[in-house]
Amino acid sequence: MSATLERPSPALTAPRTVAPGKDSRKLIRSQVRAGWVLIAPALLHSGIFIVIPVIFAIGLSFTDYSFGDSWAWVGFQNYSDLFNDADFRAALKNTILYAVVVIPISMAISLFIALGLNQKIRGLAFFRTAFYIPTVTATVAVATIWLWIYNPGSGLANGFLSLFGFAPSSWLSDPGTALPSLMVVGIWQGLGTKIIIYLAALQGVSRDLVESASLDGAGRWQRFVNVTWPALGPVQFFVLITSIVGTFQVFDLVYVMTKGGPGTETTVLVLDIYQNAFQALRLGYASAETVIMMILIAVFIGLGRLLQRADVND
Amino acid sequence: MTSATVSVVSETKESTVRTGRIVLYVALTVGAILMITPFLWMVLTAFKSELEITKFSWLPGELRWNNFVEAMQTAPFLRYFRNSLIIAVGETAFTLAVCTTAGYALAKLPIRGAKALLSYFILLLMVPFQIILVPLFLIVKSIPLFGGNNILGQGGIGWLNSWWGLIIPLGAAPLFTFLARQFYVSIPNELAQAARVDGLGEFGIFWRIMTPLIKPALITICVFQIEAAWNGFLWPLMITTSDALRPLQLGLAIFAQNPAEVQWPYLMAGTALATLPMIVMFVFAQKRFVEGMANVGIKG
Repeated sequence: MSATLERPSPALTAPRTVAPGKDSRKLIRSQVRAGWVLIAPALLHSGIFIVIPVIFAIGLSFTDYSFGDSWAWVGFQNYSDLFNDADFRAALKNTILYAVVVIPISMAISLFIALGLNQKIRGLAFFRTAFYIPTVTATVAVATIWLWIYNPGSGLANGFLSLFGFAPSSWLSDPGTALPSLMVVGIWQGLGTKIIIYLAALQGVSRDLVESASLDGAGRWQRFVNVTWPALGPVQFFVLITSIVGTFQVFDLVYVMTKGGPGTETTVLVLDIYQNAFQALRLGYASAETVIMMILIAVFIGLGRLLQRADVND
Repeated sequence: MTSATVSVVSETKESTVRTGRIVLYVALTVGAILMITPFLWMVLTAFKSELEITKFSWLPGELRWNNFVEAMQTAPFLRYFRNSLIIAVGETAFTLAVCTTAGYALAKLPIRGAKALLSYFILLLMVPFQIILVPLFLIVKSIPLFGGNNILGQGGIGWLNSWWGLIIPLGAAPLFTFLARQFYVSIPNELAQAARVDGLGEFGIFWRIMTPLIKPALITICVFQIEAAWNGFLWPLMITTSDALRPLQLGLAIFAQNPAEVQWPYLMAGTALATLPMIVMFVFAQKRFVEGMANVGIKG
């Protein structure tokens, strides 16, 4: 997004070029008024239903609140406890691993498929629908389908492998394959949205630019590197942000398919938060965990932005 | 250069193009099959008998349509459907109203700190829903003057167990404000200027000039929001206590409750029924959805 963000909006700069006459000042004032009226509902809504709860959660993280009436201020106790908590450390490790594997792979595959779908091909509607179906399906439904696919006895996964003579695997209950099995589902389910966004962006890439590049003798790869890739910049950042938030939030999938097991092999942050909050009823502790998660997401997005800046400067 | 060499060159070029096409089609087809197979597997399982699912097989011996009927009888599926529909429509209407207005203001109107406000919404994008779950519950419970609450939000249940609670907090996500803003930005200001010269007011420009131009964005927002609403699970589970208001996904959960004795054919039948509407919606919306999204970028 940085490309779009850095550029001052034309609406903001345009009025300054006009001589500050009485009319234009009046016009600007009416625009400003309209602006605040139009944005007020969104500010009100996000304030009540997001900002206040976040502040609330941060406050709770310094207490030992647990749904009861009594609670005490405990300072950074929750935070220091967390780093001595083996379950939390496992969840942290698994979540980061999940994000680091799933995000690049799914972004690369999506871009690749989007480039393919952006050609003049037959059956476009079919392909788009095929790739998007997993995305429109509820995660609860997706998880149940894959639970059945990974079923060690009569599931599709082992049935398919046996066609090639491979030994059956126990997928979700084997510590070695449990997390990778979830990653496959995560990647599979998340492709659709990214493909659609990329596809839309690709169709917005100026045809003239691509054509003039190819007239200048630029090959397919050169056209991609010099024209298409830079034009995708803002969209890449959008996809990256939503992917980071999405992968850090992975919950339904894990909750339905493994409940974090075997052991803590697939315990992710949100699952651990959920268990601390609603099963152990340690709301303060769970809140501290969510604060750490928020910081982690911010760090990841910051890194993503740095990467993108470096890319743009090249 | 003789005409012979020209034709040779163009022939080899043509044949590489053709090979490229074939590779492209093969890759896309394999990909598409990988995406669809799990659903095919779901539908096939939905027709199988309890006995057939004990070992791996593709096709059911006979199509047991009864699985669907029996699955429907195990839970009030029609009511779940209706509830999901109300939630989806409500959330989407609310989202459209709030997010297009905010997106437009951020993109086109010279409000002080527009940049900071944009950063604010991007920052909100990063807040995972699970983080605010508990405080959100407490806030929704304390909405003043609803559900027997007094003006301070005490004494009653607020928006718990109500359509308000199901619809409003999860509508108007910052993502959609951001999305709408991105689309409005790409529309040139000259259009608005021309309308201003013609004497149209700011709200008229927003509603009659700019918003019709981002119709594709509106469709995109609709599809995303309907999807999110239709697939919601944790929030409805937390704030409703009776079947009367509960949506489809909670109905599904009834079947999956005990992993040890899951009735796979019923579960897959129920899952198929819950999935179908979203697939149908996308099949109908996909053309406008994608092409439209792209058009905004260039035509503006």
